[in-house]
Parts: sequence; C-alpha cells; structure tokens
Amino acid sequence: MPLTERPAVEARDLRRTFRTKQGVLRPTRKTVEAVKGVSFEIAPGELFGLLGPNGAGKTTTIKMLITLLIPTSGSASVLGHDVVADVREVRRRIGYVFGGDRGLYERLSGLDNLRYFSELYGVPPREQKARIGSLLELVGLTGREGERVEGYSRGMRQRLHIARGLLHDPDVFFLDEPSIGIDPVGARELRATIAGLREQGKTVLLTTHYMFEADELCDRIAVIRSGEIVAEGTPGELKGLVSAGRVLEVETYGVADGVVETSRTLGGVRSVVVEDRGQVQVLVVSCEPGAEVTQAVLGQLGDTRVGRVSHRDPTLEDAYVELVTR
Amino acid sequence: MTSARIFFIGGLMSYRALFGWMNPWIFVPSLLVSPVCQILLFAYIGRSAGVGTDEFYVIGNALNYAAIPCMFAMTFTIGGERFGQTLGLVLATPARRIPLFLGRSMPVIANGWFVAMFGVVVGSLLLDVDIPASAWPLMALVVAVGSLASTGLGLVMGAINLVYRDGATMGNVLFLVLLIFTGTNVALDDLPDWMAAVGRCLPLTHAIEATRMLADGATWGAVRGLVGTELVIGLVYLAVGLGAIRLFERLSRTGATLDRI
Repeated sequence: MPLTERPAVEARDLRRTFRTKQGVLRPTRKTVEAVKGVSFEIAPGELFGLLGPNGAGKTTTIKMLITLLIPTSGSASVLGHDVVADVREVRRRIGYVFGGDRGLYERLSGLDNLRYFSELYGVPPREQKARIGSLLELVGLTGREGERVEGYSRGMRQRLHIARGLLHDPDVFFLDEPSIGIDPVGARELRATIAGLREQGKTVLLTTHYMFEADELCDRIAVIRSGEIVAEGTPGELKGLVSAGRVLEVETYGVADGVVETSRTLGGVRSVVVEDRGQVQVLVVSCEPGAEVTQAVLGQLGDTRVGRVSHRDPTLEDAYVELVTR
Repeated sequence: MTSARIFFIGGLMSYRALFGWMNPWIFVPSLLVSPVCQILLFAYIGRSAGVGTDEFYVIGNALNYAAIPCMFAMTFTIGGERFGQTLGLVLATPARRIPLFLGRSMPVIANGWFVAMFGVVVGSLLLDVDIPASAWPLMALVVAVGSLASTGLGLVMGAINLVYRDGATMGNVLFLVLLIFTGTNVALDDLPDWMAAVGRCLPLTHAIEATRMLADGATWGAVRGLVGTELVIGLVYLAVGLGAIRLFERLSRTGATLDRI
C-alpha cells in the first residue's frame, strides 16, 4: 500500500540483540539477534498484521515500538515521535495489549483496574466515569466491572486488557497476540472489537498466530522469520505467492520419521508440514503449478495407513507456512 | 493536577492492588505479634544479662520492626508488579515517575508507623514501661520520620528490582544490618567505631535515639537535631531511590531485564 501521508508507525532497519550470561564460575555468554533489520510503515487508520512463528521477533519489535526496549540500532517512530528520544510523547499516543492471563491487578475489580490506569494516563477526572462506562460497554463487561479480576475468565481478562489499552483514546494500538488461549466465541467477539477499532480510525499493529484472524482483520501483513521480514503485502497478495500452485492434503494415521524431509526433496514440492487433526495427521504439501506429486508423496509414505487424499487452493496459512519454512 | 492525583489516588490504589492479599490473618501475626515477640526476646535477654532497661529494648525493637513493612512493602511495589507482569504496562504509561513511586510510599510509611507505634504501646504495657503521656505526640512524630527514612531505603531496594529479579532477598540481610547497626539492642557507644559510623548513615538510628530521649523526658529542642538528621537521611535515600529507578529503568530498556520474572 503506497503511503501518501506521514506513516503512523515507521520502523527503519530496526535491530535488537540480547546478550545473556549463564553460570558463575565459568560463565558462558550468548548473543542472540532477535530482530535483524526490520523495516515497515503503517499508514494512519491501517490494521497491520505482523505474523511469524514463536521466537521470530514479533514481541521484541513491538516492545521497541512501545518504548519498553531500546533498539540496538536502527530507528522507529510513532506519529512522528522517535521511540527513543520522545518517549513520553510516544507513550501518550499509544495503547498496548498483550495476550495471556497476566498483566492485571488480580485483587482489584475490573473497574478499579481501569480507574488506576486512567490516573496513570492522565484521563481527566470528569471524563473517567463516562469513558470507563463506554469502554466496558464496548468490550462487553458491563455488569461485571465490580468483581475482582481473579474471578474473571481468560476472555474477560483479555477484553479488560483492551479496555485498559483504550482508556486514553490512543491513536495507535499495539495488540500482541490478544486472542491467545481464548475460546472460539470469545475470540470472535475479540475480532469484532478489533474490527471496531479500525472503523473508529485507529491505527492497529496486530500480531497473531491465527491466520484466519489475520486474513479477516488485516489490511496488510508482514511475515517475520528469524528476525527478518520475509514478505509483506495484503492478505490477497500473500496468498498470491502460492496461489499459482496447489495444495495436496493426505490424511495419515502416523507419519513415519523422515517422511516430511524426504517429501520436501521431491520435484515440484515447495513445502511440507504435518498438521494434527484429531485422530489423523495430515500431510500438507504445497506444490508448484502443474506439478503432479501425489503418487510420489504416497510412495514416500510406504506402509503408513492413508485416509482421504485431496487437493485445494492455497490459503493464507499455506502462504505463511511456506514463507516461514523456506 | 495529574501528578497530584497519581501521587495520592494512584498511590493508594496501587497499595490496594499490590497488598490486597494482606488480610488480618496475615497482618496480625506477621506485623503485630512478631514485633512484640522480638521486643520480649531482647528485653528478657537484657534483664537476664543485667544490661539495658526495658524501655531501651521496647523502643529500639518496635522502631526496628517498622523496617519490615517499610523496606519489604516498598520493594514489593516494584518486585510485585514485575512478578504480576503489570510493571511493563505501568512503565509504558506517560505517568511521571516521581509522583508514581513516591505516592506508593505514603501508605507504606503509614503502615510502618502503625506497626512501630503498636510495638511501643503493647511492649510498654506488657513490660510495665512508664512513658510520660506528654512524650507520646512527639514520639509519634519521630516514629513517622523513622518510617519515612526506612521507606527511602526500601525504594532503593525496589529500584534494584528493575534489573535484578531477586532483589527482595536483600531485605532479609538489610533487616539484620539495621538490627545490629542502628543501636536497636546495643547502644552505638558500645559498638566499635566503624559500626557506629555505619549506623549513623542508616535509617532509624537517629529516630530510635530521639524516641528514647523523649521517653526519658527530653524536650523537642533536645531531639530536634537528631530528628532533622533522620529526616535528611530519609530524603537522601528517597532521592537515591528515585535516581536509581530512573537509571535502572533505562538499563531495563537496554538490557531487557524486565522480561525475566
């Protein structure tokens, strides 16, 4: 997406290195490059997805953008404010929500959690009540706000997190795997809330493992692998990276060791992964256009009991898997 | 206005948030029964050894025990947030750090004051220590100053929690250091010079001495210097704590220390 105005978020060759030390008498030092020169821009009002496997550098990138980590090199800005030099200005304008159970004051009620962060964000006292009330309504916690957070379900906690992040009406919102561990109904409600943010004109950076979530919500997506962005575009453009081919799915009852590796070496095969679906394991093979690999793949399976064999068009998940396993 | 609200309202709310677990079943034995036990232990050691008066031990140990809530609670205001993974969210807000963290110290000081005063009152009743009624208001003031100074030391420890996740364990060592070096059970004059010199740089030393003098009938003019010194020591520790928070917050951003819980 060409940007015609100042980007809401801009990252330029961001890098972050972690140094760890283990042991006292014979300490061993390790240096890990978590983010290796990441660059992207997010336009105002855009919902931008950052996808990648665990340890790819998504959270580290977000932490640099929200001022909790200083980049080892490179630069980043939010609404024109440098994330290292203009820390307070950046913090005033951003909201940050991460997934999981933690990050709330368990012994306080949901309402008091919101009241406390309202104070920290300097929400004027006269506006607090109305703002908190409307946010509780937005995230569907009206009527439960007086209960202690320790009694909340994971979905309720996550929605409270989102309300907390919106207290000061930030222009840019960072959502780091917000739907992790939430049941399907809760996740659907959460997606509706996130979609609502975009309709309000908020700029959102979302990281998630769920491809359908990214496909449904994001205007653009960047795929990050081992600290580097390996692809960027609209969901449609990313699907297009593999749409010229086909996907072969083979249901099996126990894939033998080495089958995935040997199948990857077959001519016409782009990528191979195994997905557990209940009792069966499904071999998902992404193929080159026109390549006929079914017999060759079945041959690799040997005596393994095979169920249904089918072909389908690639999805965003196929594109993602191919990008992160190349 | 925002900073004032963060100081008063935010300070109180964060205290509720972090110490909601402190119900009477925990508070009474750990912060009311324990200091009285400590007072009785040292008072009877003193009696059997023929050293010191009951008043000496009551005041010394009651004030010394204020260090428990002051140091540990102040440390926990950062360490507890870190463990609950709320610290990153708090630090990602634009709230000014001075009212944010000093506001948290106010309920802690009040708690320390209450614990110390409870020890003095109950210890005096149990050991039949006679303290003139006129001395109590000024003693209460001096105990408050001592609690503030202990809280300052707690703030320094809390700051260390930003870069060192097990910082709270130092509190156990520091409590013993205060027990030995502040003249709690052995007067500074009876300690080696170097220990007395260290003691004069620690919180509580001057507050304990001033409180004992007031209990013996001294006037405000006689203890004013000691109380002023205690206050200065407390403010220096608070300033060092705030400076350390500023420094360690930056170090946590460069060293990613907050990611370790």
